[in-house]
Amino acid sequence: MPSDPALTIENLAVHVGGKPYVRDVSLTVPKGQIHGLIGPNGAGKTSLLRAVYRAERPVAGNIAALGHQLTDTPFKDWAAMVGALVQSAGLLAGLTATDIVEIGLAVLNLDPDAAASRRDAALDLAGLTDKADQPASALSGGELQRCYFAQLLARDPDIYILDEPTNHLDLHYQLVLLDEVQRRGKTVLMTLHDLDLVRRYCDRVYLMSHGQIVDQGAPDAVISRENLKRHYMVNGEVSGDALRIEGPVPRASA
Amino acid sequence: MTHRFPILFPLVLLLLVAVAVSGVLWGTAQISWADRAAILLRSDDAPKGLSLIVWQWRIPRVLAVGMIGAGLALAGALMQTALRNPMADPYLMGLSSGASAAAVAAIIWLPKSVTDSFGVPAIAFAGAACAFLMTLGLSQRRGHPMDPLIVILAGVAVSLMFQSLTAFFLYIGDPHATRNAIGWLMGTAAGTEWAEVPLLAIALVLFALWSLRHSNALDATLLGEERAQSMGIRTGRLRVMIFTVTVVLTGLAVSVAGIVGFVGLIVPHMARLLIGARHRVLLPMAMVVGATVLIAVDLMCRMLLAPEELPLGVLLALLAAPPFIFILRGLRRAI
Repeated sequence: MPSDPALTIENLAVHVGGKPYVRDVSLTVPKGQIHGLIGPNGAGKTSLLRAVYRAERPVAGNIAALGHQLTDTPFKDWAAMVGALVQSAGLLAGLTATDIVEIGLAVLNLDPDAAASRRDAALDLAGLTDKADQPASALSGGELQRCYFAQLLARDPDIYILDEPTNHLDLHYQLVLLDEVQRRGKTVLMTLHDLDLVRRYCDRVYLMSHGQIVDQGAPDAVISRENLKRHYMVNGEVSGDALRIEGPVPRASA
Repeated sequence: MTHRFPILFPLVLLLLVAVAVSGVLWGTAQISWADRAAILLRSDDAPKGLSLIVWQWRIPRVLAVGMIGAGLALAGALMQTALRNPMADPYLMGLSSGASAAAVAAIIWLPKSVTDSFGVPAIAFAGAACAFLMTLGLSQRRGHPMDPLIVILAGVAVSLMFQSLTAFFLYIGDPHATRNAIGWLMGTAAGTEWAEVPLLAIALVLFALWSLRHSNALDATLLGEERAQSMGIRTGRLRVMIFTVTVVLTGLAVSVAGIVGFVGLIVPHMARLLIGARHRVLLPMAMVVGATVLIAVDLMCRMLLAPEELPLGVLLALLAAPPFIFILRGLRRAI
């Protein structure tokens, strides 16, 4: 058991519509470490994260953050400790980029000056200062994702849950925003499909398939030729600083 | 856009007061300025008949219509947030068609003694509640959270069913009773009494305070179900409360003035275009605009073909169409 665990998941099972999406998953993220969930589509990564940020109620198992059991912690208190960047469609008519960041801060009940300072700093980090008062509906997909990222950075919880945080982001902001999360030294559990980014940021990686963790360890050990072949049906391996893919990729049904 | 609120809200509030005062001063009966002053000051010189018109008919009517407008606008804004759908309105869950079918059935089929003792408004409220419960029942899927799209589809299905029933009742009903029923369907605030005002006021104040108290949670809901949940908002609980607010406010509105469409759909969008979508400013603005619009249209109903009255629902629909098209153009950019 790692020392000083920030996030602990034990024997977790999550069902969606009666079907098992996560089965008997256990993992521990020590304070200040970044852990990644990887695996093919439908492996159960997002369902696991949804249970952690309480969008899904587990059918079995325990989740604890900073020593507090999820089931014993009020929703607001849990959200103050565990913040998430998620995929979700909203009704943005009448909202600006500033509004989106402020809405995230409002539920924390900060004093107005502290909230304004956090808001401005987060919008600046996300490169949105000049678009702060633009309608959110006029922002591009990447700008909107930066806006939601800024909201999470402004809230700055103890534990960051990131579900595909680089969606729609250009290379510059992928690196700027994930570097900032890393710089803050917070505990992170995230899903990523970009295995190069996994290698850059994660201290430890869990490979999921069919709702279970099938391999775990240091990124380069888990992103092995054998795992790429078995779970992604791709021939390749980590070579030097890069992941190299070889030859044509066979179709899944082949 | 919220920074406009301190300037715009007092202006709209002033407009509401002006429209409400106009609603009291003008109507089908012609009253001189001297008599108006005497009546409002409760002077002994005030003509008794005209005093009765102002104090027993016009003032409770203006108050009730204002509160109905505010209530429908509040319910509409909350429904659009709960379902994250700009086309949502208070009648979405079959409330108007349920109320219509029950009221029309009562007017056409029930003996007068029964409708007199229960009252058509109470029967309409029961119909609205019945349709609401049917929509809610159809929206539930075992093992799944409530999906806004399923709620909307269930509401459409229930509405269609009750609309067909209403049409069937009107088709086979006695022509005289059918005419009365059509009059009710068109919506009117004529005959509103003081007795109807306190319940509307209590419901409106309570639900407005509840909504403002939860404005942060409502804001978070706009960003999506999962985002709100990740911020600690219990979205399922919030949605049930919004539906309850909607059914009570809409049911009360229907029971007093019949079916009054458009206010719950258009006014929240008007308010959003004016001061943005943050609920702590949107809800007060929507309520004041809703009250202003409905009192103004009700006054026009009384004045345009005086001494005849136009049905409130009909004139409102006619007047609401052009601004709705304008708002749609604005929404196309905003959604």
